[in-house]
Amino acid sequence: MAVLGAARRRAAAFLFSSVVRLQSSRSTSLQEGIVAKTSLTSPPWSEVKLPNPVEEAKHHAEVVQKVNEMIATGQYGRLFAVVHFASKQYKITSEDLIMMDNVLQAECGDRIRMEKVLLVGADDFTLIGRPLLGRDLVRVEATVIEKTVSWQKINMRFRKKHNYQRKKIITNPQTVLRINTIEIFPCLS
Amino acid sequence: MVLLSVPLWLRSRLTDRFWRVQEVLKYARHFRGRKNRCYKLAVRNVRRAFVKSTQARKQKKRFLRALWITRIEAASLEHGLKYSAFISNLFKTQVELNRKMIADLAIYEPKTFKSLAALAQRRRQEGILAALGDGKEPEGIFSRIVHHY
Repeated sequence: MAVLGAARRRAAAFLFSSVVRLQSSRSTSLQEGIVAKTSLTSPPWSEVKLPNPVEEAKHHAEVVQKVNEMIATGQYGRLFAVVHFASKQYKITSEDLIMMDNVLQAECGDRIRMEKVLLVGADDFTLIGRPLLGRDLVRVEATVIEKTVSWQKINMRFRKKHNYQRKKIITNPQTVLRINTIEIFPCLS
Repeated sequence: MVLLSVPLWLRSRLTDRFWRVQEVLKYARHFRGRKNRCYKLAVRNVRRAFVKSTQARKQKKRFLRALWITRIEAASLEHGLKYSAFISNLFKTQVELNRKMIADLAIYEPKTFKSLAALAQRRRQEGILAALGDGKEPEGIFSRIVHHY
């Protein structure tokens, strides 16, 4: 089946690029180079064209410069960021509350800088990291507000007709953080 | 003098049966029918409720992921991409946003999602072009193609 498919693809590509010349007296009336459009004249996938690389590079440089200017002059409103924290990803803005389901080795009231930023965006532009954004580009600051324990979750196992039941009460430690600021600096290139 | 044997009329009886029963019934108060009042019925149903809640905590993760995938599929179809193409190309461009984040961005940040879709589309086109190669036949191959000259 794979070989059949490859042969068909090759045939279609060749037919697509072949030139048909009729050897009859009617050859002057029909133009050379026109093949009747059948199901095999063009390949079954749509033709893909990439834009001109030189023009594209120019366009990219313009966009980067514009965004840099906007950041430098401070023309953005509220910034949001996607941060990878405690093995989960959170979408945060300033004055946001975040809860993580485990212990943080910091006291209440400590200021924390979150370093793994995946995405930063404002109203007019977004900076997407591959996979992370640079440390000199974004700065996310948070404060630890409270460290509590979760509500009592009940874990129960039961097997019928075997007189087996086990009940366990689970309480996870939790930490609540308040995001103070998200700042970006104009060092794009 | 020390009494070494207990008289027969002295028994130790349960005094806090009420509270032991209430501990179970408090978890059954929102049930329907007699099982929110009668201890015998409540005990069985409260046990079932606890077991189901432990199982549901595992299933919730599966359901939420399916929900995110559905939402991402709907949003990417709005931009003309299928979910498989979108996710595979997004990961090939080394953008490591998980499905929860992409679904949230699709809801609350439509412009960002549009740019992610454009990124995935561009990577897809580059991948197709790279796979097509030159379009020439490999050398030294016999084929049944008819050459019109």
